[in-house]
Amino acid sequence: MPDPTDIEAYVDATAQLIGLPLDPAHRPGVVLNLGRIAQMAALVMEFPLPEETEPAPVYEP
Amino acid sequence: MLDALAATQAVRSGAASAVEITEAALAHIRARNPALNAFTEVTTARALAEARTIDRRRAQGETLGPLAGAPFAVKNLYDIEGLVTLAGSKIDAERPPAATDAFILRKLSAAGAILLGALNMDEYAYGFTTENTHYGAVHNPHDPAHVAGGSSGGSGAAVAGGLVPIALASDTNGSIRVPSSFCGTFGLKPTYGRLSRSGTRPFVASLDHLGPLTRTVGDLAASYDAMQGADPRDPACAGRPIEPASPILEHGASGLRIAVAGGYFAGSGIAAEAVATVAKALGATRVVDIPEAARARAAAFVISASEGADLHLADLKTRARDFDPMTRDRFLAGALVPAGWVLRAQRFRRWYREQVLALFRDVDILLAPATPGPAPRIGQETIEIDGVAVPMRPFIGVYTQPLSFIGLPIVAAPLRKPGELPIGVQIIAAPWREADALRVARALERDGVTNAEPTLG
Repeated sequence: MPDPTDIEAYVDATAQLIGLPLDPAHRPGVVLNLGRIAQMAALVMEFPLPEETEPAPVYEP
Repeated sequence: MLDALAATQAVRSGAASAVEITEAALAHIRARNPALNAFTEVTTARALAEARTIDRRRAQGETLGPLAGAPFAVKNLYDIEGLVTLAGSKIDAERPPAATDAFILRKLSAAGAILLGALNMDEYAYGFTTENTHYGAVHNPHDPAHVAGGSSGGSGAAVAGGLVPIALASDTNGSIRVPSSFCGTFGLKPTYGRLSRSGTRPFVASLDHLGPLTRTVGDLAASYDAMQGADPRDPACAGRPIEPASPILEHGASGLRIAVAGGYFAGSGIAAEAVATVAKALGATRVVDIPEAARARAAAFVISASEGADLHLADLKTRARDFDPMTRDRFLAGALVPAGWVLRAQRFRRWYREQVLALFRDVDILLAPATPGPAPRIGQETIEIDGVAVPMRPFIGVYTQPLSFIGLPIVAAPLRKPGELPIGVQIIAAPWREADALRVARALERDGVTNAEPTLG
């Protein structure tokens, strides 16, 4: 579970980096939702995958 | 309201004209839609023109299509020529009208079906409840205080309310199966890549599917069959040969190895009871565990947030206030997801696919709940899971997300006890084996296990 303070700092820094202005009224909801995504991502990131497991893209040249 | 195939039969036999069937459906929509809020647009002039064409062709002795005179409607993320494709949003209402119909809508029209209009949905398909702030919540035909599910809530309510026998929808994480479960309809989410998505507003290209909701398995198979076909305009469309399910629908479930999905999918309460009822009816006693389903759901969650936000990034930067408050903060958060999470989720998808495909070596059908319970109330924020209150809306997709994640074909089959809200069971088949799931659904329907009777009103 990521530290909520870390999430807030990340939201502000990344929003600035990608040029996404955040209305102060929207910020708490964004922090809450990024926290939920982070919890989900933690489940994925902690799982060891074999190196040879590549994504399965549809792209065909 | 007749089922689609019954309507076509009536037109063929001359028992009713297509115009009579269309006018009856339009009258029913006028009477019932105000309470349900399923339709955002009723295409009256087009419907009557299409119906007159069918009647004229019959009078001239021409061959009629397999769905001639059958009414249908589409989620409002499908392009309809001359209408603006809203995708549940206020922002897209500023777009120009669509120049042509979506690919699979054209396929249904070519089969003789009559388009009656466009259906309400969660904004940009990012939700499970269709509590749309711009266009209003859709009400469940079984109890208007409850949601119809989402994101294809208008599709579920239109079919369950008897407004149309076929509604087309989309399913990225459960958006066909959830409204089917909450509204008590059949729903088919075909294999990823089976039906072309061209001419529909995307949400998550990696996970988006299209499919129908109906009240009978015959209508589900007939509409699915009519919509198959290659389309180079959707790069994910696999372009497989057309494999009709209708001719083998009555083969029943015999010869299919059926198991119940255990562990993560065990469920509780009426969701578990519904799966047990279906398993008993089919004589399925085996329990199979789908490994790492919780991580699969998590990976689908991460990919959806990121891909969905990327599509709308320009609007998120310049006019976030115009998004529905129900989706806005999730889209904004999705724009900030680190690339590494998304890439790992995509790699996990490949690994998980291998594990699940291995299960299908000695099983043909898996059974699982479609939703954790029946439809929650409109406005409900939390749901109690093992004594703990969790946010209700994301939890709705807990059983659907890990399966659409790898594109498995699934029929949602509705059960309903007298005086209770409906609940759906997922009939899950191996990739490209839609017909297996449809055969099982038909066997359950024939034996009276399922109940998709429309509500009166």
